[in-house]
Amino acid sequence: MPTDPIFRVDPSENSGAMNTQPPGSIYVARSLPAALDALNECGSAGAPFAGGTWIMRSPIRHEPHKPHYVAIGKIPELTAIRIDADVVEIGAAVTHAALASALTELSEFDVLATAAGRSANPAIRTIATIGGNLSTSGFAAADCVPALLCLDAEVEISSRGDQERISLERFLKIRPTLEPGRLLTRIILPRSDCKTAHARLPLRKAGDYPAAIVSLAVSFDAASRVQAVRVAVGSVEPVARRWERLEAALVGRPLDPAQAAEVAAELVDEFTGRDSVELPAWYRVSVLPSLVRRAAVAALDS
Amino acid sequence: MVTSLTVNGDRLSSAADPITPLVDVLREEFHLTGAKPVCREGFCGACMVLADGAPTLSCLMPAALAHDCNIRTVEGLALDGTLTPIQAALEACDAVQCGMCFPGMVVTLTHLLTIKPGATRDDIRAALTGNICRCTGYERIVEAALLAVAVK
Repeated sequence: MPTDPIFRVDPSENSGAMNTQPPGSIYVARSLPAALDALNECGSAGAPFAGGTWIMRSPIRHEPHKPHYVAIGKIPELTAIRIDADVVEIGAAVTHAALASALTELSEFDVLATAAGRSANPAIRTIATIGGNLSTSGFAAADCVPALLCLDAEVEISSRGDQERISLERFLKIRPTLEPGRLLTRIILPRSDCKTAHARLPLRKAGDYPAAIVSLAVSFDAASRVQAVRVAVGSVEPVARRWERLEAALVGRPLDPAQAAEVAAELVDEFTGRDSVELPAWYRVSVLPSLVRRAAVAALDS
Repeated sequence: MVTSLTVNGDRLSSAADPITPLVDVLREEFHLTGAKPVCREGFCGACMVLADGAPTLSCLMPAALAHDCNIRTVEGLALDGTLTPIQAALEACDAVQCGMCFPGMVVTLTHLLTIKPGATRDDIRAALTGNICRCTGYERIVEAALLAVAVK
């Protein structure tokens, strides 16, 4: 592991009052190769530390911290957003606030701007990163995951000496078993003329996790019929996913919000909601048709 | 390695475990108890401090990442004992209730009025999204912020 600047504390120096775990280390990487080297050397004893909004809450979940973390928030290529004519590339350590701000003028990404700009609360949005949002398997209510699913995102996974690009759907399948040393480094979004929208239902109007999320991206033919549509559902099940049966039912006819909600109500039984201390499973499922309607209204207005 | 940081103008250092939340270092090592570790989840805002000028949840910031940062806590806002405009307005509007959320509210509003001196009611409410008052005293706090805007 690189030696500077590692924050490692000799146990004899520890004041001892604040943390019952053995002291660990946080290495602040200044370049991507340095971060990948450090992650590789740490192996299963280490993990990347982006915004830290999940890791810092480990004690609340009764999960021990890793002995070593590699902080990636100061790596220039991971904190950059590149907007080209045919693609948008987002570094994994871009914060929600920075992402929402960068996408303000790109209406085709309304879904992602809303997801990034409305999640949690303002202070969280300035530290929580999109890479962290995608990589945290245990966080079912992540706003950016369904938004990126409906934008057909791909992700870049890097490790020392290797790099690959896979679909976000594939990444969501492999992320619980992603080998140590491999890091989500970039999100790649194709540009399109889709209209998009993100409908979320938090328990309070703001500052809370959503009970359910519906993200929508739709394109129309010359007769204003739905030509292609992607619908993704988040926070209802443990992992966000596309709602392909609803997509198939919407193609080929005008997008009517009320009708879309009716179709959604007929198909909603395919979801098995997740129970949690704040909400029963059935509630998350039951609000989906309303969120489909809201997403359709918002997409038509965008 | 020792974490060195500037807190309310003083250069301080801590040998705490690097993952230790900054709020614990502030309170237990530096005895600055204004920031409150209430939810420890980033939801309540009671631990808000300014880190390099930005409102920051000190329960979610590990000590190691505060290295070389300029931290300002609620104790460091009033210079030479003179209340800032937002502190004076909160006092004038009798907006303080139990005090648990208040340091965080003051820090958040201090930043808002710095970046948006003409903040509207909606701006204020949006900025306070992450500051929860268990006494539900929001209206007086918003009114005080509007007063501070008007006085400026």
